[in-house]
Amino acid sequence: MLKALRNTWLITLRELRAFGRRPIFLIIMFLAPLGFLWMFTGLMQSGLPTKLPAALVDEDDTHVTRQLTRILGTMEETNFVMKTKSFTEARQAMQRGEIYAIFRIPKGTTEAALTQRQPVVSFYTNDTYYIAASLLMKDMRKMSEMAGLAITRETMRARGATDEKIMGSIQPIVVESHPLGNPHLNYSVVLSNLIVPGLLMLVIMLTTSYALGIEWKRNRQKELYKLADGNIYVIIVGKLLPQTMLYTLIFWLIDLVFYSYLQFPCQCGIPRMMLWGFLAVLASQGFGLLLFEAFPAMMRFAMSACSLLGVMQFSLAGFSFPVSAMELPFQWLSNIFPLHHYFLIYVNQALNGYEISYAWMNVAALLGISILPWLFSYRLTDAIQNKEYKA
Amino acid sequence: MKRPKFPILHVWLDELTDIVKDEGILIFIILLPLAYPLLYAMIYDTETQRELPICVVDDCMSSRSRDFVRRVDATAEVKVAERCTDMAQAQELMRRREVFGILRIPAEFDQRLWRGQQAVVGLYSDLTSMLYYKVEYLAVINVAQEMNRHIKVKEHQATTTRREEQLASWPIRFEEVKLYNPAGGFAAFLIPPVLMLILQQALCLGIGMSMGRSRERFRGLVIPPSKHYKNTLAIVLGRALVHFLIFMLMAFYMAVCVTRWFGLPQLAHFTELLGFFVPYLAACTFMAMFWSSFIYRREDCILLFVFMSIPLLFLSGVSWPGASVPAFWQVVGSVFPSTWGLNAYVRIQGMGASLGDCRQELMALWILAGVYFLLTCLFYMFEIRKAVGRTILE
Repeated sequence: MLKALRNTWLITLRELRAFGRRPIFLIIMFLAPLGFLWMFTGLMQSGLPTKLPAALVDEDDTHVTRQLTRILGTMEETNFVMKTKSFTEARQAMQRGEIYAIFRIPKGTTEAALTQRQPVVSFYTNDTYYIAASLLMKDMRKMSEMAGLAITRETMRARGATDEKIMGSIQPIVVESHPLGNPHLNYSVVLSNLIVPGLLMLVIMLTTSYALGIEWKRNRQKELYKLADGNIYVIIVGKLLPQTMLYTLIFWLIDLVFYSYLQFPCQCGIPRMMLWGFLAVLASQGFGLLLFEAFPAMMRFAMSACSLLGVMQFSLAGFSFPVSAMELPFQWLSNIFPLHHYFLIYVNQALNGYEISYAWMNVAALLGISILPWLFSYRLTDAIQNKEYKA
Repeated sequence: MKRPKFPILHVWLDELTDIVKDEGILIFIILLPLAYPLLYAMIYDTETQRELPICVVDDCMSSRSRDFVRRVDATAEVKVAERCTDMAQAQELMRRREVFGILRIPAEFDQRLWRGQQAVVGLYSDLTSMLYYKVEYLAVINVAQEMNRHIKVKEHQATTTRREEQLASWPIRFEEVKLYNPAGGFAAFLIPPVLMLILQQALCLGIGMSMGRSRERFRGLVIPPSKHYKNTLAIVLGRALVHFLIFMLMAFYMAVCVTRWFGLPQLAHFTELLGFFVPYLAACTFMAMFWSSFIYRREDCILLFVFMSIPLLFLSGVSWPGASVPAFWQVVGSVFPSTWGLNAYVRIQGMGASLGDCRQELMALWILAGVYFLLTCLFYMFEIRKAVGRTILE
C-alpha cells in the first residue's frame, strides 16, 4: 500500500516535470480557461443587451406620429439610429446588418386614427438574429399595447373617470412575471455560468486524453508501467492528480470571480458550488479517460471523439434551446455529458437555492461518470502491454 | 507515377496523396464537415418549445379564472400539466422539475374584475432555459391581452355596432412581422452561422494536423528535403489549394444540401455564394496555415483549435447581439474570418442581401486573406532557409 502511494507520487512528479516541456499544454491549461473567464465576463458586462439599433420609417410625418415615435424612443431596448421615409431604404440597412428592426408608420395613419378607422402600424424584426429580435419584439409588444391604451385612457379621462377605474377597464388583467432566481433576466449570469465552466470541462477532457496518449506517442508506456509496479490505478491517479488539483483550483477561482467579485446570484453559498465544481472536474476527467479507454493508445481518435462530443455538450446542456424541446434520442444523449448535469446542479443550487436532494440524480450521474472508467481500466493495462502508438 | 513538372502542382499532389492516406486528417476534413452539420441540424430541428408543462394554482375558482386557464392551456406554447391547490405544492413540482412554470390566479381575481379594478396574475418561470421564460410569458400575455380587450368592451364601454366594438377594443392595430425567420425558429437562426463556423474549424484542424504530421516526419521542419520545395509561393499555394478545393465542395454541400434537407433559409444565388465562399475559404485556409506554424505534434492542433469554436460564435455577434459586444472584443474578433464570414453568410443566404450589401465584410475577408497569406509566406521562407541550412550541414 505504502509502496503504491510512493509510486503514485513518483508518477505525479514525473508528470509535473513533463508539463514544463510542453508549452502548448501549459497555454491550454492556464491561459485558455482564464482567458475565457475574462472574455465572457467582459462580453456580457452589461447583462441584458440594451439600446439595440433599429430604424423608424415614418411615412406619415405628422405631429401625431411624431408624438408616437417619441414614446417609442423611450423604450429600453430600442435605439432608433435611422429615421427615414422610405421602407426600402430601411430594409437595405437591415440587409447590410446595420439595424435589427424596423418600425413602420404607413401613410394615412393620423387620418385613420382621427376618423376612427383603426390604422395599422407594423414592426419588423430580423429574426436571423434571434436574441436581438426577441428583445426588440418584447419591447414592441409592450409599447404597442400601451399606445393603444393611451388613446382610450384619454377618451375616458375626458368623460371624467378616475384613474383606478380607467386602469381597471383598459387593462383589467395584469400579468406579473417572475423569472425565478434571476429577476433582471441578466443573460450574463446564466450564460457565463454555462459557458466558462463548460469550456474548462472541454479543456479537461482534451488534456486528459492528451496526457495519457502522449505516453504511447513517446513510447514511454512500458517505462510508466514499470514505475507503477504494474498497478494500473497507480498510473491513472498519478497521471491525473496534478491536473485534478490544477483544474479544481481554476474552477474555484471561477467560482470566486462569479459569486464573490461579480456578485452573481449564489443561493447555496460559495463553498457548496466549489464542491460541485470539484465534482465536475472529476467527471470531466472521467469522461476523457473513458473515451481514451474506448480507443486505447489511439490518442488522436480519443481526442477527436472528445472534441466532437465536447463541443456538442454546449448545445445539449439546454440553456439557450431547452433539452425538453429536442427529439427524444437527443434528450437521452444529453445525459452522458458532465456539463448537462453540472448545469442542472447549478440551477438547482446557486440559482434557485433548492435542496440538493432534488438534484440527486445529477450528482449521482457526475459521480457515475467519474467512476465508470475505473471499471474499464483493464483496457489500459492491455494497451500498455500490447499496443503501440498509431498515428 | 510520373510527377508533374511545375513545383506548384508537385506540392499540390504531394499534399493530396498525403492527406488521403491519413485517416486522422480525413476525419477532420471529410467526416467532420459532412456529418457534424447533420447532427447539429437534428438537435435544433424541432425549432421551438411547444407544450411546455406548467402548473396552475387557481385560488379563485370562478368561471372566469377557469376560462383564463383553459385559454392558456389551448396555446401552442404551454400546456397545463398539473392543477395545484396551493403554492407549496406547485413549488414542490417545480423543484422536482415536473413543471417549468407556475401560473397563479389570486382568490380575488374575479371579484376585482367585477368591481372594475385591476387583477394581477402571477407567472413564475424556471430559468433553466431562457426559452422557458419566453414561451410562458408570450402564452400568458397573449391570453391576458385577448381577455382584456373583451372585458374592456363588454363591461366598460357601451358600443352599438360590431365595428365600433372592434375599434374600441383596438384603436390602433399593430402588426408584428418576423422577417427572414417567420416561425421564429431556433434552427433557422443558429444553424447557418454554425455551418460556416464548422468550415473554419474543420479547415484549422485539418491543416493543423497535416502540419504536425510534416513536422514529425521531417524532424521539426514543415517541408520535405526535396528540390521541389524551394519556391515559397509554390509551396504555400500548392498546399492551400488542396484544402481550399475540398472545402469549396464542403461549403456547397452545406449551403445547398444541408440547407435544403432541413428547410433552412436559402435565398442566395450560386454566384453570390461563390463570391462569398472564395474570400471566406481563402481567408480561413491561410489563417489555418499561419496558426498551424505553432504546431509541432499532430495532436496539438486539437488542443489549439477545438475550444475556440464556442468563443468565436459569441465574438461574431450572431448569437450575442454584435452591437452589444465591447469595442475591445470586437477588435479581437475582427482578426478571425469567422466573425465576418458568419455575418455575411447569414445575410446573403438568410436575408437575400446582395454581395454589395456585404461589401464591408467581403472587403475584410479579402484583407484577412491577404494578410494571412503574406504571414504564411514569411513563415515558409524562414522554413525553406532552415531546410537549406540543414542539407548543407549534412
